[in-house]
Amino acid sequence: MAKQLAFYFDQTKCTGCKACVIACKDKHDLPVGVRWRRVAEYSGGLWLVDERTGTMTQDVFSYYTSYSCNHCDDPICVEACPSTAMRKGENGIVKVEPEICIGCKYCAMACPYSAPQFNEAKGVMTKCDFCSDRLAAGQTPACVAACPSRALDFGEVAELRAKYGAMASIEPLPAASVTKPNLVISPHHRAQVSGTGTGRIGNPKEI
Amino acid sequence: MLHELPLVIFTIAAQMSAGSFIVLGLIHLLGAKVPQETMDRVTDPALYAVGPLLVLGMAASTLHLGSPLRAANSLLHLGGSWLSAEIFAGSAFAGLGAVFAFLQWKKLGPHVLRQVLAVLTAAVGAFLVFAISQVYSLRTVPAWATYFTPVRFFITALLLGGLAVGAALVIAAQRREAKGVETPEAAALVGRSVRGIALGGLFGLGAKYIGQPAYIGYLGTHPEQAARESLDLLVNTYGVYSAAQNILTFAGIAALFFMLYRMADGNAGKRLMPTAAIVAFVLVLAGEVIGRMLFYASMVRIGV
Ligand code: SF4
Ligand code: SF4
Repeated sequence: MAKQLAFYFDQTKCTGCKACVIACKDKHDLPVGVRWRRVAEYSGGLWLVDERTGTMTQDVFSYYTSYSCNHCDDPICVEACPSTAMRKGENGIVKVEPEICIGCKYCAMACPYSAPQFNEAKGVMTKCDFCSDRLAAGQTPACVAACPSRALDFGEVAELRAKYGAMASIEPLPAASVTKPNLVISPHHRAQVSGTGTGRIGNPKEI
Repeated sequence: MLHELPLVIFTIAAQMSAGSFIVLGLIHLLGAKVPQETMDRVTDPALYAVGPLLVLGMAASTLHLGSPLRAANSLLHLGGSWLSAEIFAGSAFAGLGAVFAFLQWKKLGPHVLRQVLAVLTAAVGAFLVFAISQVYSLRTVPAWATYFTPVRFFITALLLGGLAVGAALVIAAQRREAKGVETPEAAALVGRSVRGIALGGLFGLGAKYIGQPAYIGYLGTHPEQAARESLDLLVNTYGVYSAAQNILTFAGIAALFFMLYRMADGNAGKRLMPTAAIVAFVLVLAGEVIGRMLFYASMVRIGV
């Protein structure tokens, strides 16, 4: 059994196809508007002027980030939750107890990854539970299994960091110091560090 | 602009009732030499106005819950979540206030006991205002996570509480006058209290106005992009509301000056007092409601 599970995301491989988003929605039967995993497109760029030749060259960039709940080490959602419905448990997975949640949405207000997603019909908060049932059955999380580019993986956080480094502060995500996410990213070659971004999110309605 | 309307109502009502209790306490404290019978006769009517207000606010706050029947679960994370602390303080304040109002109404128990209870209730009310400010001081929301939030909430509490008490005192005094039961001591106490409230109100409104550039500076120089987005919402997207709030602040200042001027004028001005007191209260209340709506509307969280 793992001490702390984490997701691994290889930004150099992601094509922004969103198969992970759909696999997650399908697996958990999520209603319209509720997305436990989302893919942000971050793009920007400018014109490079060559004074000698009097020419201009475009220097645009765009990259994708697939993210869900990061089952953080300093989970602001758990701290904020007045009912203790939001809790960190086995394998370091952060879950909502639906029988206890009062649907105040305070966790959703606080989380900088928009991971808690309110289910209007159920009247309670819902979020990524790392596909605990699939894990128990020896399977991988639905998003990881679905990715055609093999850009997603998961595992024990210490092992992932030993293998890929400890980077998680990539625009448009917040700096990792805020909630200490258990997320490991292999950055895209044009990726910008959180807080130094010059681009903007290209698909705000999709995330 | 209609973001989180139930929370606008709850936070304003809770702060106003806590502020009223604190102001009533101050009147008792500063008027320690006034005979108890006169004091009670003047201040009791205002006391009864506080309770229903908070109950209204608490009821409104449950409106935004997805599962309101489980609202009591909100106390389970006491000691960890400021939201639990807020709800606990709100309930304790309402409970203590109700007990105090009942004892005061029936004049039950020794006077000292009631005074201790009143001080305790006012202290819990002050803690309630602080707890509400901490609920919003989320480290992921730069526009809220600043000392401006508690300062602003305490100003709202004292302004609205004070002006509500002032209006209640004046109206009750006018009723006594109409019935011919007003005593000179009571009238003098009302006069002193209302003058104090009006001066305090001017101070509060002034602080509110002066605090604005400081807050804008804070947002403008904050390293997080989210802070500048909040600023943009305040000055551009909802700039009209920000302007309306300032106009109401000045209208409130004018109404309070008018009241003070009339009061200095002796008896002649007295007739206008209930109208002026209510107008001042309504102007400031409108400004505070718009301000609170802006508070929620300008919420921008860091991250995605
Ligand atoms: S990503 Fe958000 S919801 Fe998930 S543990 Fe971190 S703070 Fe909580
Ligand atoms: S919505 Fe539920 S899980 Fe989220 S903070 Fe409120 S009670 Fe906790």
